[in-house]
Amino acid sequence: MSDEYYEEEDFETKFTGKVFRRILGLTKPHWKWVIGFLIAIAAVSSLDSFSTFLSKRIIDEGIVPQNLAAVKNILLLYGGLILVQSAFVFTFIYLAGVLGERIRYDLRRDMFKHLQNLSLSYYSRTPVGWIMSRVTSDSERVAELVTWGLLDMTWGIMNIITAMIFMFIINWQLALMVMIALPILLVVAIQFRQRILSQFREVRKMNSKITGAYNENITGVRIIKALGREPENMKEFDSLSGSMYRASYRAAWLSALFLPTVQIISAFALGAIVWVGGLQANLGFVTIGGIQAFVSYVTFMLWPIQDLARVFAEMQRSMASGERIFSLLDTDPEVKNLEGAYDPGTIYGDIEFDHVNFSYEDNNPVLIDFSLKVKRGETIALVGPTGGGKSTIVNLLCRFYEPKQGKIRINGIDYKKFSLHSIQSRVGIVLQTPHLFSGTVRENLRYGNLVASDEEIEEAAKLAGAHDFIMKFDKGYDEQVGEGGNNLSVGQKQLISLARAILAKPEIFVMDEATSSVDTLTESLIQQGMETLMINTTSFIIAHRLSTIKKANRILVIEDGRIAEIGSHAELLKKGGKYYRLYTKQFREQMEKSFNPFANDEGHQPPLPVAAD
Amino acid sequence: MSIPESILNYDLKNVISKNRFKGLWRLMTGYHHKYVGAALSLGLAAAAKTSTYLLLRYFVDAYFVNNNATVSLPVIALGFIGLAVFEGGFSFLSGKLAAETAEGSTKRLRDYLYDHIQHLTYSYHDKMQTGELIQRATSDVDALRRFFADQAIGVGRIIILFLINFVMILTINVKLAFISIVVVPIVVLISIWFFKRVSKAYEDYQEQDAVVSTILQENLSGVRVVKAFARQDYETNKFEKDNWKKFVLGKKLLLMHSLFWPISDIICGAQMLTGFLVGATFAINGEITVGTYLAYAGMIIWIIWPMRNLGRLIVQMSTGLVSFGRVLEIIKQVREPLDEGNVNGNTALKGAITFKNVGFKYEDGQNVLEEINFDAKPGQVIALLGSTGSGKTSLVNLLPRFYDYSAGNILLDGIELTEYPRRFLRENIGIVEQEPFLFSRTIAENITYGVNSKVSQEDIEEAARMAAVHDVITTFPKGYKTLVGEKGVTLSGGQKQRVAIARTLLKNPKILIMDDSTSAVDTETEAEIRSALNRLMENRTTFIIAHRIQSIVNADQIIVMDKGRIVQHGKHDELMQQPGIYRKIYDIQTLIEEELEKEVTRVG
Repeated sequence: MSDEYYEEEDFETKFTGKVFRRILGLTKPHWKWVIGFLIAIAAVSSLDSFSTFLSKRIIDEGIVPQNLAAVKNILLLYGGLILVQSAFVFTFIYLAGVLGERIRYDLRRDMFKHLQNLSLSYYSRTPVGWIMSRVTSDSERVAELVTWGLLDMTWGIMNIITAMIFMFIINWQLALMVMIALPILLVVAIQFRQRILSQFREVRKMNSKITGAYNENITGVRIIKALGREPENMKEFDSLSGSMYRASYRAAWLSALFLPTVQIISAFALGAIVWVGGLQANLGFVTIGGIQAFVSYVTFMLWPIQDLARVFAEMQRSMASGERIFSLLDTDPEVKNLEGAYDPGTIYGDIEFDHVNFSYEDNNPVLIDFSLKVKRGETIALVGPTGGGKSTIVNLLCRFYEPKQGKIRINGIDYKKFSLHSIQSRVGIVLQTPHLFSGTVRENLRYGNLVASDEEIEEAAKLAGAHDFIMKFDKGYDEQVGEGGNNLSVGQKQLISLARAILAKPEIFVMDEATSSVDTLTESLIQQGMETLMINTTSFIIAHRLSTIKKANRILVIEDGRIAEIGSHAELLKKGGKYYRLYTKQFREQMEKSFNPFANDEGHQPPLPVAAD
Repeated sequence: MSIPESILNYDLKNVISKNRFKGLWRLMTGYHHKYVGAALSLGLAAAAKTSTYLLLRYFVDAYFVNNNATVSLPVIALGFIGLAVFEGGFSFLSGKLAAETAEGSTKRLRDYLYDHIQHLTYSYHDKMQTGELIQRATSDVDALRRFFADQAIGVGRIIILFLINFVMILTINVKLAFISIVVVPIVVLISIWFFKRVSKAYEDYQEQDAVVSTILQENLSGVRVVKAFARQDYETNKFEKDNWKKFVLGKKLLLMHSLFWPISDIICGAQMLTGFLVGATFAINGEITVGTYLAYAGMIIWIIWPMRNLGRLIVQMSTGLVSFGRVLEIIKQVREPLDEGNVNGNTALKGAITFKNVGFKYEDGQNVLEEINFDAKPGQVIALLGSTGSGKTSLVNLLPRFYDYSAGNILLDGIELTEYPRRFLRENIGIVEQEPFLFSRTIAENITYGVNSKVSQEDIEEAARMAAVHDVITTFPKGYKTLVGEKGVTLSGGQKQRVAIARTLLKNPKILIMDDSTSAVDTETEAEIRSALNRLMENRTTFIIAHRIQSIVNADQIIVMDKGRIVQHGKHDELMQQPGIYRKIYDIQTLIEEELEKEVTRVG
């Protein structure tokens, strides 16, 4: 639903030459194709007009003088032209169509590539749906403009011009009358088209609302039943679907009115031609074939007019699409390599936060004068309330963001001097909500190290405690994990993302422990996996489990962007402050959770997690 | 512009029919005359178009060939304009009537499906996927709309144009007429064959498009993982591969199109030129007049060229039929009869509930509850304790008749539960879920969601105060008008629950079902919620699904469940006397405090 919402985003763009030129510029690498289809379509439309002219000659040179041989000759020429024209038709459909596909492909590729370099700050302020719409529907629309739009426009203009030329050749007075009708036709048609287009936009907006209503009706069906809301809901939906009905009905009849209106206007031109042509007949200025040709030209003038109107009406939308695409492509990544950035070879070493200040939004500081020295190989547990700044610390450490003030040093050197890749390729991260990619378990594990052998992958999975459950899948390591890993449970996803991190052999390890509960077995497996990882890495754990916290060399209680308490478990507990309260609360909860009175073996109690170590 | 009640009230259950076309026809009930009118208008418009050519014949013969005109030029000119107006008028009318039919029938279908879905049983929703249902209610319904609005009308237009012009040419010259349609069957067959193949190729293309979108979507939502492993190049290559595949598939699709259109051009062109040759020969021989030849040359175009689109429309119609089948599957499901039952809807409930040997199993025969026996007096608090899957949720789901029990009796105020209409029960039972579902509308609307009559702002605030959520709401910039969900504020679990409590307070039910999940909330709010809950339970028979003992020590009855059976039953004090699960749970609390004490002293 949200994607559709972003697709229908309002636009106020007026025609600007700059954007238009840049859109046209997209065809530059393929200019031969453009020239190709433009020539082909120009040929097709000229041949169209010429065919009508040939029909005239059949009458005037063949039928009226009763010359069958002439008829046959002209038909032969006509047939030849149809063959030639078919070749051109093939050419323009193929060239324009394939070029359209190619430009879509180019745009998607460029945008995707650019998106990979943009910083997290961009992603935190730009909804995924918005970006999706740019890459999918906007690229579609822009490609449409520079291929079929350009083609229809050329076809329409060429068609009108060549038809006009032939009309002037046949009879200039009649041709002049058609010329007067033309601009009227065009203006009316474009006006019409624009209305129709905006009406259809309305329909699409309504449609996404309807989809939303269905969605809520279905996902909330249980509470709706419980509250007996059915009649009220129906009333609301009725008004919604009523608006949808009116909008789409209006769009439909507007469309139905379009062609007849254009037709009727051209009928006036036709009437005038008949009148004047009839008068001239006596004088011999106009022939039968001439009349027929005029009738055809005027009747079929409808199509180029319609196409031109469509292209013009859609132009504004396509321009807005182009502008949004370019705005995406023009966004500079906020975190990027400085000049002369280098790879230090390792980032395993002492880490120092030196008076670091940070804020996501300007007037809302998240981290205030934060200083911390971490020894190589140390394990730091971060605890404290949500929004206190724990995630920000690890985000800065991974250089997803950079400090607004102050410095972060690794081995005594400002980490901004290093290349982004040299840092991020040596950091291992396990997120609170683990993200997997569609594909097999093996592919997801290999994400940690692209050149890892199958043995290494299994080894890592074993270390993370993921091997056993993976082997229970029908296809083992080749089991599909589903979109976003949805075929797996949260605990399984966590173990796989742990194994993935182990495989990457990181020098700095960052973990955001999940708050969602997993069963005791999985939990102890995760525990083991983490321990494996923490050997020979400097680790930062946003911790929720007591055992993790207790194992850390130092615990930081982060509150309101500052360090509220710092020290070892014993030190902080003795102090009886914030950490003490936090710890005792968590202790109670965790004990309650781990104790299962419904376990089968009477009398036996599961090991207590705290006393276990 | 609105739709008459009589049309909207038609029961779409009637569209269930063995014959799909009969079903489609019934789907249009109330619009039949309009749809027929649309077809007739099409015919009239086509006739006007053909008449234009006949007028042209008269004009040419009278003014150019024979010079024996009896009708003056302005009249002929007006004739052309008049015919154009006639044609335009009727083709507009046809489009308008078809749109009215299609949009009207679709609106009725949308309404019906919406209402149908919210009346289907719990069991149906248990097994049906949300996405699948939405897809059917939206895309499939839209496919049906296009079937009526575009495809059927389009096919009708092509056939009518063909018939009228063909008959006209027949009256001119039989031989000429039959020579003119030789290729028509060939063109139709080729176009059907072609569009079938194209639609398959198009499906592949669409599928690949979905693949590309998924990769993009996953990349965007997993951007932190991509960055954390510095896998930008890998991702770009992955995207590139499927992006390129889409390009190749698109190319294939275009190659098909770029072959079909010129080839059909050649076939139709050959037919047209043959017609011209024969017609011209006739004209030269004097069998037909020059004007007739002219008219013929105009009409033959409308016989041949539109045929190329017939294949496309027919193939699209067949997918429309598939969509109809999918929509029908939903319509076929039986609704929950909300008002079925013998008990008068105005009865005042006392809230006495008795379970006698109650058993419940799912449709697949799996036993969920067995031999449930207990007796709840009005106003009592019944606590249900048990692990996940022990059957406590299923037990309370029987009360509003979300499911019907399969054995034993449940008596409410002494009357069998199944005698009560479901609507009545649900009006009198309030439910506060563990993770309450809130709707994406304002907080005030969420609070009044369960009440059908108008509620004053004071009442809303009163309820919110009692639910201890008023103070939270007033901190939002828009207060009670704040939107909940994606486009508004995200409420925490505890806040959601308190809004749900306010919602239930306003509803004022006689029986209350509560899923107690205060463990997810931090300490300060826990106390607030607890007192809100106590206010809520006053004077109501209350069932609490409990997760912790602290919240239920004061319950009038405690029922401990395991594997669908009651294993312990009594008051807190009684249960403490017996050995069993309950005491074990209680003991652990003391144990925890002891452990904690030990832990703290150990470091000290």
